[in-house]
Amino acid sequence: MLPVSASTPESVALENEVLLVQRLRDRDEGAMTIFYDKYSAALYGVILRIVKKEETAEDVLQEAMVKIWHAFPSYDASKGRLFTWVMNVSRNLAIDKIRSRQYRVSSRTQPIEESAALRQAAEPSFRPEHIGLQEMTRQLNPDQRQIVDLLYFGGFTQSEVAEELNLPLGTVKTRARAAIKVLSKLIR
Amino acid sequence: MDTQEYIESGILEEYALGVLSEVERANVERIAREHLVINQELKDIIAGLDGYAQAHALPPPPALRERVLEAWQQAAREMAPPQKAAATAAEALPRMVASSAPMPEAAAPREAVVRQMPAAANAGRRWMIAASVALLLLSALGNYLLYSRLKETEANLQVAQTEQSRYAATQKAALNERDQQLAVLRNEAFQPVDLKGTPKAPDALARVYYNARTKAVYVDVRNLPALPEGKQYQLWALDNGQPVDAGMLANATAAGDSIQQMKNIASAQAFALTVEDIGGVVSPTMSTLTVVGNI
Repeated sequence: MLPVSASTPESVALENEVLLVQRLRDRDEGAMTIFYDKYSAALYGVILRIVKKEETAEDVLQEAMVKIWHAFPSYDASKGRLFTWVMNVSRNLAIDKIRSRQYRVSSRTQPIEESAALRQAAEPSFRPEHIGLQEMTRQLNPDQRQIVDLLYFGGFTQSEVAEELNLPLGTVKTRARAAIKVLSKLIR
Repeated sequence: MDTQEYIESGILEEYALGVLSEVERANVERIAREHLVINQELKDIIAGLDGYAQAHALPPPPALRERVLEAWQQAAREMAPPQKAAATAAEALPRMVASSAPMPEAAAPREAVVRQMPAAANAGRRWMIAASVALLLLSALGNYLLYSRLKETEANLQVAQTEQSRYAATQKAALNERDQQLAVLRNEAFQPVDLKGTPKAPDALARVYYNARTKAVYVDVRNLPALPEGKQYQLWALDNGQPVDAGMLANATAAGDSIQQMKNIASAQAFALTVEDIGGVVSPTMSTLTVVGNI
Protein backbone atom coordinates (compact mmCIF):
# COMPACT_ATOMS: atom_id res chain seq x y z
CA MET A 1 0.00 0.00 0.00
CA LEU A 2 1.34 3.39 -0.90
CA PRO A 3 1.66 5.93 1.86
CA VAL A 4 -1.23 8.32 1.69
CA SER A 5 0.99 11.34 2.07
CA ALA A 6 3.26 10.37 -0.82
CA SER A 7 4.62 13.70 -1.82
CA THR A 8 5.60 14.68 -5.33
CA PRO A 9 8.75 16.84 -5.75
CA GLU A 10 6.46 19.70 -6.59
CA SER A 11 4.46 19.43 -3.42
CA VAL A 12 7.68 19.22 -1.41
CA ALA A 13 8.88 22.42 -3.06
CA LEU A 14 5.57 24.10 -2.32
CA GLU A 15 5.64 22.87 1.24
CA ASN A 16 9.16 24.21 1.63
CA GLU A 17 8.12 27.53 0.24
CA VAL A 18 5.15 27.78 2.59
CA LEU A 19 7.45 26.93 5.48
CA LEU A 20 10.01 29.48 4.42
CA VAL A 21 7.35 32.14 4.04
CA GLN A 22 6.09 31.35 7.52
CA ARG A 23 9.57 31.59 9.02
CA LEU A 24 10.22 34.87 7.24
CA ARG A 25 6.91 36.19 8.47
CA ASP A 26 7.95 35.21 12.00
CA ARG A 27 11.11 37.27 11.51
CA ASP A 28 13.19 34.13 11.92
CA GLU A 29 16.68 35.30 10.98
CA GLY A 30 17.84 31.79 10.17
CA ALA A 31 15.31 31.76 7.35
CA MET A 32 17.30 34.39 5.53
CA THR A 33 20.23 32.02 5.04
CA ILE A 34 17.89 29.44 3.57
CA PHE A 35 16.36 32.15 1.45
CA TYR A 36 19.76 33.22 0.17
CA ASP A 37 20.81 29.71 -0.73
CA LYS A 38 17.54 29.10 -2.48
CA TYR A 39 17.07 32.33 -4.42
CA SER A 40 20.39 34.17 -4.71
CA ALA A 41 21.43 32.60 -8.01
CA ALA A 42 18.14 33.45 -9.73
CA LEU A 43 18.09 36.98 -8.32
CA TYR A 44 21.77 37.59 -9.01
CA GLY A 45 21.46 36.33 -12.58
CA VAL A 46 18.61 38.70 -13.37
CA ILE A 47 20.17 41.62 -11.52
CA LEU A 48 23.45 41.14 -13.33
CA ARG A 49 21.60 40.95 -16.64
CA ILE A 50 20.07 44.35 -15.84
CA VAL A 51 22.97 46.25 -14.30
CA LYS A 52 25.68 44.43 -16.30
CA LYS A 53 28.43 45.16 -13.80
CA GLU A 54 29.24 42.43 -11.31
CA GLU A 55 30.14 44.91 -8.62
CA THR A 56 26.83 46.72 -8.97
CA ALA A 57 24.95 43.43 -9.16
CA GLU A 58 26.45 42.39 -5.83
CA ASP A 59 25.39 45.66 -4.24
CA VAL A 60 21.90 45.40 -5.63
CA LEU A 61 21.54 41.83 -4.44
CA GLN A 62 22.54 42.95 -0.97
CA GLU A 63 20.05 45.81 -1.06
CA ALA A 64 17.40 43.46 -2.36
CA MET A 65 17.88 41.04 0.54
CA VAL A 66 17.48 43.81 3.07
CA LYS A 67 14.50 45.22 1.24
CA ILE A 68 12.82 41.83 1.00
CA TRP A 69 13.25 41.38 4.72
CA HIS A 70 11.78 44.73 5.59
CA ALA A 71 8.98 44.59 3.06
CA PHE A 72 8.12 41.01 3.82
CA PRO A 73 5.00 41.79 5.87
CA SER A 74 3.53 43.18 2.67
CA TYR A 75 3.99 39.92 0.78
CA ASP A 76 0.65 38.23 0.23
CA ALA A 77 1.13 34.56 -0.59
CA SER A 78 -2.42 34.32 -1.90
CA LYS A 79 -1.55 36.70 -4.70
CA GLY A 80 1.52 35.00 -6.06
CA ARG A 81 4.55 32.84 -5.48
CA LEU A 82 7.38 34.04 -3.28
CA PHE A 83 9.70 33.69 -6.26
CA THR A 84 7.62 36.09 -8.34
CA TRP A 85 7.50 38.62 -5.57
CA VAL A 86 11.19 38.61 -4.64
CA MET A 87 12.15 38.60 -8.31
CA ASN A 88 10.05 41.70 -8.90
CA VAL A 89 11.47 43.47 -5.85
CA SER A 90 15.00 42.73 -7.02
CA ARG A 91 14.27 43.55 -10.63
CA ASN A 92 12.75 46.89 -9.67
CA LEU A 93 15.75 47.73 -7.51
CA ALA A 94 18.12 46.88 -10.36
CA ILE A 95 16.10 48.90 -12.88
CA ASP A 96 15.95 51.84 -10.46
CA LYS A 97 19.71 51.55 -10.23
CA ILE A 98 20.37 51.80 -13.95
CA ARG A 99 17.91 54.64 -14.22
CA SER A 100 19.47 56.60 -11.40
CA ARG A 101 21.47 59.58 -12.46
CA GLN A 102 24.48 58.44 -10.53
CA TYR A 103 24.59 55.15 -12.38
CA ARG A 104 24.21 56.77 -15.75
CA VAL A 105 27.07 59.10 -15.02
CA SER A 106 29.31 56.28 -13.85
CA SER A 107 28.38 54.22 -16.87
CA ARG A 108 28.93 56.98 -19.33
CA THR A 109 32.27 55.54 -20.28
CA GLN A 110 30.52 52.46 -21.56
CA PRO A 111 30.06 52.97 -25.25
CA ILE A 112 27.02 50.76 -25.58
CA GLU A 113 23.76 52.42 -24.76
CA GLU A 114 21.58 50.60 -22.26
CA SER A 115 18.89 49.58 -24.67
CA ALA A 116 21.42 48.69 -27.31
CA ALA A 117 23.23 46.51 -24.82
CA LEU A 118 19.97 44.82 -23.95
CA ARG A 119 19.47 43.84 -27.55
CA GLN A 120 22.66 41.86 -27.44
CA ALA A 121 22.42 38.19 -26.75
CA ALA A 122 23.08 37.25 -23.15
CA GLU A 123 25.81 34.77 -22.45
CA PRO A 124 24.33 31.32 -22.17
CA SER A 125 24.59 30.02 -18.65
CA PHE A 126 24.78 26.40 -17.68
CA ARG A 127 21.74 25.51 -15.62
CA PRO A 128 21.16 21.79 -15.90
CA GLU A 129 18.31 21.78 -13.40
CA HIS A 130 16.24 24.25 -15.37
CA ILE A 131 15.29 24.76 -18.91
CA GLY A 132 18.43 26.30 -20.25
CA LEU A 133 18.58 29.84 -21.42
CA GLN A 134 19.78 28.66 -24.79
CA GLU A 135 16.83 26.32 -25.09
CA MET A 136 14.47 29.17 -24.26
CA THR A 137 16.03 31.67 -26.56
CA ARG A 138 16.07 29.16 -29.38
CA GLN A 139 12.32 29.06 -29.10
CA LEU A 140 12.03 32.83 -29.30
CA ASN A 141 12.68 34.56 -32.58
CA PRO A 142 15.09 37.54 -32.39
CA ASP A 143 12.27 40.09 -32.51
CA GLN A 144 10.44 38.45 -29.63
CA ARG A 145 13.63 38.07 -27.66
CA GLN A 146 14.46 41.72 -28.11
CA ILE A 147 11.07 42.84 -26.88
CA VAL A 148 10.98 40.50 -23.88
CA ASP A 149 14.43 41.65 -22.85
CA LEU A 150 13.52 45.32 -23.11
CA LEU A 151 10.37 44.72 -21.10
CA TYR A 152 11.80 42.43 -18.48
CA PHE A 153 15.39 43.60 -18.08
CA GLY A 154 15.08 47.16 -19.29
CA GLY A 155 11.98 48.07 -17.29
CA PHE A 156 10.41 49.53 -20.44
CA THR A 157 6.66 49.78 -20.87
CA GLN A 158 5.21 48.48 -24.11
CA SER A 159 4.77 52.06 -25.32
CA GLU A 160 8.39 52.83 -24.54
CA VAL A 161 9.48 49.75 -26.43
CA ALA A 162 7.39 50.84 -29.41
CA GLU A 163 9.06 54.21 -29.33
CA GLU A 164 12.51 52.76 -28.82
CA LEU A 165 12.20 50.31 -31.68
CA ASN A 166 10.12 52.55 -33.91
CA LEU A 167 7.34 50.03 -34.10
CA PRO A 168 3.55 50.43 -33.85
CA LEU A 169 2.34 49.76 -30.30
CA GLY A 170 0.08 47.00 -31.61
CA THR A 171 3.03 45.14 -33.10
CA VAL A 172 4.92 45.38 -29.83
CA LYS A 173 1.95 44.02 -27.89
CA THR A 174 1.48 41.13 -30.30
CA ARG A 175 5.15 40.21 -30.20
CA ALA A 176 5.34 40.51 -26.44
CA ARG A 177 2.31 38.30 -26.00
CA ALA A 178 3.63 35.75 -28.46
CA ALA A 179 7.02 35.72 -26.78
CA ILE A 180 5.65 35.30 -23.27
CA LYS A 181 3.35 32.57 -24.54
CA VAL A 182 6.36 30.68 -25.86
CA LEU A 183 8.03 31.03 -22.48
CA SER A 184 4.95 29.83 -20.58
CA LYS A 185 4.68 26.79 -22.80
CA LEU A 186 8.28 25.90 -22.14
CA ILE A 187 7.67 26.12 -18.41
CA ARG A 188 4.63 23.93 -18.41
CA MET B 1 -17.00 41.27 -21.39
CA ASP B 2 -14.93 39.97 -24.25
CA THR B 3 -12.26 38.04 -22.37
CA GLN B 4 -10.25 37.33 -25.52
CA GLU B 5 -10.08 41.00 -26.36
CA TYR B 6 -9.02 41.75 -22.78
CA ILE B 7 -6.28 39.14 -22.95
CA GLU B 8 -5.02 40.48 -26.26
CA SER B 9 -4.93 44.05 -25.00
CA GLY B 10 -1.56 43.27 -23.42
CA ILE B 11 -2.60 44.46 -19.98
CA LEU B 12 -1.91 41.09 -18.37
CA GLU B 13 1.69 41.24 -19.58
CA GLU B 14 1.99 44.73 -18.17
CA TYR B 15 0.59 43.47 -14.88
CA ALA B 16 3.16 40.70 -14.78
CA LEU B 17 5.96 43.09 -15.69
CA GLY B 18 4.92 45.39 -12.86
CA VAL B 19 4.41 48.56 -14.87
CA LEU B 20 0.75 49.19 -13.98
CA SER B 21 -0.55 51.72 -11.52
CA GLU B 22 -2.17 50.54 -8.30
CA VAL B 23 -5.66 51.19 -9.59
CA GLU B 24 -4.98 49.32 -12.80
CA ARG B 25 -3.50 46.42 -10.89
CA ALA B 26 -6.48 46.16 -8.61
CA ASN B 27 -8.69 46.21 -11.65
CA VAL B 28 -6.78 43.38 -13.32
CA GLU B 29 -6.97 41.31 -10.16
CA ARG B 30 -10.68 41.85 -9.84
CA ILE B 31 -11.29 40.85 -13.45
CA ALA B 32 -8.99 37.81 -13.08
CA ARG B 33 -11.03 36.69 -10.07
CA GLU B 34 -14.20 36.96 -12.09
CA HIS B 35 -12.96 35.24 -15.27
CA LEU B 36 -11.26 31.91 -14.95
CA VAL B 37 -9.81 32.17 -18.48
CA ILE B 38 -8.16 35.46 -17.68
CA ASN B 39 -6.94 34.14 -14.35
CA GLN B 40 -5.32 31.16 -16.07
CA GLU B 41 -3.80 33.38 -18.75
CA LEU B 42 -2.33 35.66 -16.10
CA LYS B 43 -0.85 32.73 -14.20
CA ASP B 44 0.73 31.43 -17.40
CA ILE B 45 2.26 34.77 -18.22
CA ILE B 46 3.73 35.11 -14.73
CA ALA B 47 5.04 31.57 -14.84
CA GLY B 48 6.59 32.19 -18.26
CA LEU B 49 8.41 35.30 -17.06
CA ASP B 50 9.47 33.57 -13.85
CA GLY B 51 10.87 30.77 -15.96
CA TYR B 52 12.71 33.24 -18.13
CA ALA B 53 14.20 34.81 -15.00
CA GLN B 54 15.12 31.41 -13.62
CA ALA B 55 16.87 30.56 -16.87
CA HIS B 56 19.20 33.49 -16.27
CA ALA B 57 20.18 32.20 -12.86
CA LEU B 58 23.85 32.56 -12.13
CA PRO B 59 25.40 31.69 -8.77
CA PRO B 60 26.87 34.84 -7.24
CA PRO B 61 30.53 34.82 -6.15
CA PRO B 62 30.84 32.61 -3.05
CA ALA B 63 32.29 35.46 -1.00
CA LEU B 64 29.11 37.45 -1.51
CA ARG B 65 27.09 35.09 0.68
CA GLU B 66 28.83 36.13 3.87
CA ARG B 67 28.76 39.79 2.94
CA VAL B 68 25.10 39.87 2.04
CA LEU B 69 23.97 37.87 5.05
CA GLU B 70 26.05 40.03 7.36
CA ALA B 71 24.76 43.28 5.90
CA TRP B 72 21.24 41.98 6.05
CA GLN B 73 21.63 40.88 9.65
CA GLN B 74 23.06 44.24 10.60
CA ALA B 75 20.20 46.02 8.89
CA ALA B 76 17.69 43.72 10.57
CA ARG B 77 19.21 44.38 14.00
CA GLU B 78 19.37 48.11 13.45
CA MET B 79 15.70 47.97 12.76
CA ALA B 80 14.90 45.86 15.79
CA PRO B 81 15.52 48.13 18.85
CA PRO B 82 12.97 50.89 18.15
CA GLN B 83 10.40 48.17 17.70
CA LYS B 84 7.66 50.10 19.48
CA ALA B 85 7.67 53.06 17.17
CA ALA B 86 9.49 52.29 13.96
CA ALA B 87 8.68 48.63 13.56
CA THR B 88 5.00 49.09 14.10
CA ALA B 89 5.00 51.90 11.61
CA ALA B 90 7.00 49.82 9.17
CA GLU B 91 4.62 46.95 9.60
CA ALA B 92 1.46 48.94 9.62
CA LEU B 93 2.27 50.70 6.41
CA PRO B 94 2.92 47.64 4.24
CA ARG B 95 -0.17 45.93 5.68
CA MET B 96 -2.28 48.91 4.87
CA VAL B 97 -0.79 48.96 1.43
CA ALA B 98 -1.19 45.24 0.99
CA SER B 99 -4.91 45.55 1.45
CA SER B 100 -5.26 48.34 -1.04
CA ALA B 101 -2.51 47.39 -3.49
CA PRO B 102 -3.00 44.12 -5.29
CA MET B 103 0.61 42.99 -5.50
CA PRO B 104 3.19 43.54 -2.83
CA GLU B 105 5.83 44.84 -5.20
CA ALA B 106 3.65 47.80 -6.03
CA ALA B 107 5.02 51.25 -5.41
CA ALA B 108 3.70 51.68 -1.89
CA PRO B 109 5.49 48.85 -0.11
CA ARG B 110 8.66 50.07 -1.67
CA GLU B 111 7.88 53.38 -0.07
CA ALA B 112 7.73 51.71 3.29
CA VAL B 113 11.12 50.16 2.77
CA VAL B 114 12.78 53.14 1.24
CA ARG B 115 12.90 54.76 4.61
CA GLN B 116 14.84 51.81 5.96
CA MET B 117 17.03 51.40 2.95
CA PRO B 118 19.64 53.95 3.99
CA ALA B 119 20.43 51.93 7.09
CA ALA B 120 20.91 48.85 5.00
CA ALA B 121 22.25 50.20 1.79
CA ASN B 122 24.52 52.44 3.73
CA ALA B 123 26.00 49.50 5.56
CA GLY B 124 28.22 48.94 2.56
CA ARG B 125 28.85 52.60 2.15
CA ARG B 126 29.50 53.00 5.84
CA TRP B 127 32.01 50.20 5.63
CA MET B 128 33.65 51.99 2.76
CA ILE B 129 33.70 55.24 4.70
CA ALA B 130 35.25 53.45 7.66
CA ALA B 131 37.83 51.93 5.35
CA SER B 132 38.49 55.35 3.82
CA VAL B 133 38.93 56.93 7.22
CA ALA B 134 41.28 54.14 8.24
CA LEU B 135 43.27 54.60 5.07
CA LEU B 136 43.35 58.34 5.62
CA LEU B 137 44.62 57.92 9.17
CA LEU B 138 47.18 55.41 8.00
CA SER B 139 48.27 57.75 5.29
CA ALA B 140 48.46 60.65 7.74
CA LEU B 141 50.58 58.57 10.09
CA GLY B 142 52.80 57.57 7.20
CA ASN B 143 53.10 61.18 6.15
CA TYR B 144 53.93 62.21 9.68
CA LEU B 145 56.64 59.56 9.95
CA LEU B 146 58.08 60.49 6.60
CA TYR B 147 57.93 64.17 7.50
CA SER B 148 59.72 63.73 10.82
CA ARG B 149 62.30 61.57 9.11
CA LEU B 150 62.75 64.26 6.51
CA LYS B 151 63.18 66.88 9.24
CA GLU B 152 65.71 64.68 10.98
CA THR B 153 67.62 64.20 7.76
CA GLU B 154 67.56 67.91 7.10
CA ALA B 155 68.92 68.59 10.59
CA ASN B 156 71.64 66.01 10.10
CA LEU B 157 72.52 67.51 6.78
CA GLN B 158 72.72 70.96 8.33
CA VAL B 159 75.06 69.68 11.04
CA ALA B 160 77.18 67.97 8.41
CA GLN B 161 77.27 71.10 6.30
CA THR B 162 78.20 73.26 9.27
CA GLU B 163 80.96 70.88 10.26
CA GLN B 164 82.16 70.69 6.73
CA SER B 165 82.31 74.46 6.34
CA ARG B 166 83.96 74.81 9.70
CA TYR B 167 86.52 72.22 8.68
CA ALA B 168 87.02 73.99 5.37
CA ALA B 169 87.48 77.30 7.18
CA THR B 170 89.98 75.74 9.57
CA GLN B 171 91.83 74.13 6.72
CA LYS B 172 91.79 77.34 4.78
CA ALA B 173 93.16 79.26 7.74
CA ALA B 174 95.81 76.64 8.30
CA LEU B 175 96.69 76.73 4.65
CA ASN B 176 96.92 80.54 4.75
CA GLU B 177 99.20 80.30 7.71
CA ARG B 178 101.42 77.76 5.95
CA ASP B 179 101.49 79.95 2.87
CA GLN B 180 102.53 82.87 5.01
CA GLN B 181 105.18 80.80 6.73
CA LEU B 182 106.40 79.54 3.42
CA ALA B 183 106.55 83.11 2.17
CA VAL B 184 108.67 83.98 5.20
CA LEU B 185 111.04 81.09 4.62
CA ARG B 186 111.36 81.90 0.94
CA ASN B 187 111.68 85.62 1.47
CA GLU B 188 115.32 86.63 1.19
CA ALA B 189 114.65 89.67 3.34
CA PHE B 190 114.33 87.32 6.32
CA GLN B 191 117.60 86.40 7.84
CA PRO B 192 117.75 82.99 9.46
CA VAL B 193 119.39 82.95 12.89
CA ASP B 194 120.19 79.56 14.36
CA LEU B 195 119.80 79.40 18.13
CA LYS B 196 121.90 76.60 19.56
CA GLY B 197 121.56 74.77 22.83
CA THR B 198 123.47 75.92 25.87
CA PRO B 199 125.44 73.35 27.86
CA LYS B 200 122.31 72.97 29.96
CA ALA B 201 120.40 71.68 26.85
CA PRO B 202 122.96 70.73 24.23
CA ASP B 203 120.44 69.10 21.85
CA ALA B 204 118.13 72.07 21.80
CA LEU B 205 117.82 73.87 18.49
CA ALA B 206 115.64 76.69 17.18
CA ARG B 207 115.72 79.19 14.38
CA VAL B 208 114.62 82.80 14.21
CA TYR B 209 113.79 84.59 10.95
CA TYR B 210 114.37 88.28 11.26
CA ASN B 211 113.46 90.94 8.73
CA ALA B 212 115.54 93.99 9.59
CA ARG B 213 113.53 96.17 7.23
CA THR B 214 109.98 95.28 8.41
CA LYS B 215 111.16 94.36 11.94
CA ALA B 216 109.19 91.12 11.71
CA VAL B 217 110.37 88.17 13.77
CA TYR B 218 109.42 84.50 13.31
CA VAL B 219 110.51 81.56 15.40
CA ASP B 220 110.80 77.96 14.23
CA VAL B 221 111.53 75.37 16.88
CA ARG B 222 113.42 72.22 15.90
CA ASN B 223 113.91 70.75 19.32
CA LEU B 224 113.41 72.11 22.80
CA PRO B 225 113.31 70.33 26.16
CA ALA B 226 109.84 69.68 27.56
CA LEU B 227 108.67 72.43 29.88
CA PRO B 228 107.88 71.96 33.57
CA GLU B 229 104.33 72.67 34.70
CA GLY B 230 103.44 76.39 34.70
CA LYS B 231 106.37 77.40 32.48
CA GLN B 232 106.61 78.87 28.99
CA TYR B 233 109.45 79.71 26.63
CA GLN B 234 110.11 83.42 26.16
CA LEU B 235 112.04 84.86 23.22
CA TRP B 236 114.46 87.66 23.80
CA ALA B 237 116.23 89.94 21.38
CA LEU B 238 119.62 91.20 22.54
CA ASP B 239 120.29 94.71 21.37
CA ASN B 240 123.62 96.16 22.47
CA GLY B 241 123.71 93.70 25.32
CA GLN B 242 120.23 94.61 26.52
CA PRO B 243 117.53 91.88 26.49
CA VAL B 244 114.25 92.95 24.83
CA ASP B 245 111.08 90.87 25.19
CA ALA B 246 110.09 89.36 21.79
CA GLY B 247 107.05 87.44 23.04
CA MET B 248 105.96 84.10 24.45
CA LEU B 249 106.09 80.87 22.45
CA ALA B 250 102.79 79.05 22.05
CA ASN B 251 102.81 75.39 23.06
CA ALA B 252 102.42 74.33 19.41
CA THR B 253 105.42 76.44 18.50
CA ALA B 254 107.49 75.07 21.36
CA ALA B 255 106.59 71.54 20.27
CA GLY B 256 107.81 72.37 16.73
CA ASP B 257 104.41 72.07 15.06
CA SER B 258 104.50 75.43 13.35
CA ILE B 259 106.50 78.62 13.14
CA GLN B 260 105.17 81.63 15.01
CA GLN B 261 105.33 85.33 14.38
CA MET B 262 106.72 87.15 17.41
CA LYS B 263 106.81 90.80 18.44
CA ASN B 264 108.48 93.21 16.04
CA ILE B 265 112.03 93.99 17.00
CA ALA B 266 113.62 97.30 15.92
CA SER B 267 117.18 96.20 16.24
CA ALA B 268 119.03 93.12 17.50
CA GLN B 269 122.33 91.33 17.32
CA ALA B 270 121.32 88.09 18.99
CA PHE B 271 118.22 86.08 20.04
CA ALA B 272 117.73 83.73 23.00
CA LEU B 273 115.05 81.60 24.66
CA THR B 274 114.59 81.31 28.41
CA VAL B 275 112.10 79.34 30.49
CA GLU B 276 109.82 81.68 32.37
CA ASP B 277 106.53 81.67 34.24
CA ILE B 278 103.48 81.60 31.99
CA GLY B 279 102.85 85.08 30.60
CA GLY B 280 106.50 86.04 30.70
CA VAL B 281 108.69 88.32 32.71
CA VAL B 282 110.32 91.75 32.21
CA SER B 283 113.92 90.56 32.37
CA PRO B 284 115.18 87.10 31.50
CA THR B 285 116.18 84.52 34.06
CA MET B 286 119.65 83.83 32.81
CA SER B 287 119.88 80.49 34.60
CA THR B 288 117.17 79.09 32.35
CA LEU B 289 118.77 80.16 29.08
CA THR B 290 118.13 77.25 26.70
CA VAL B 291 119.25 78.37 23.26
CA VAL B 292 121.07 81.44 21.96
CA GLY B 293 122.41 82.60 18.60
CA ASN B 294 123.99 85.67 17.03
CA ILE B 295 122.86 87.28 13.85
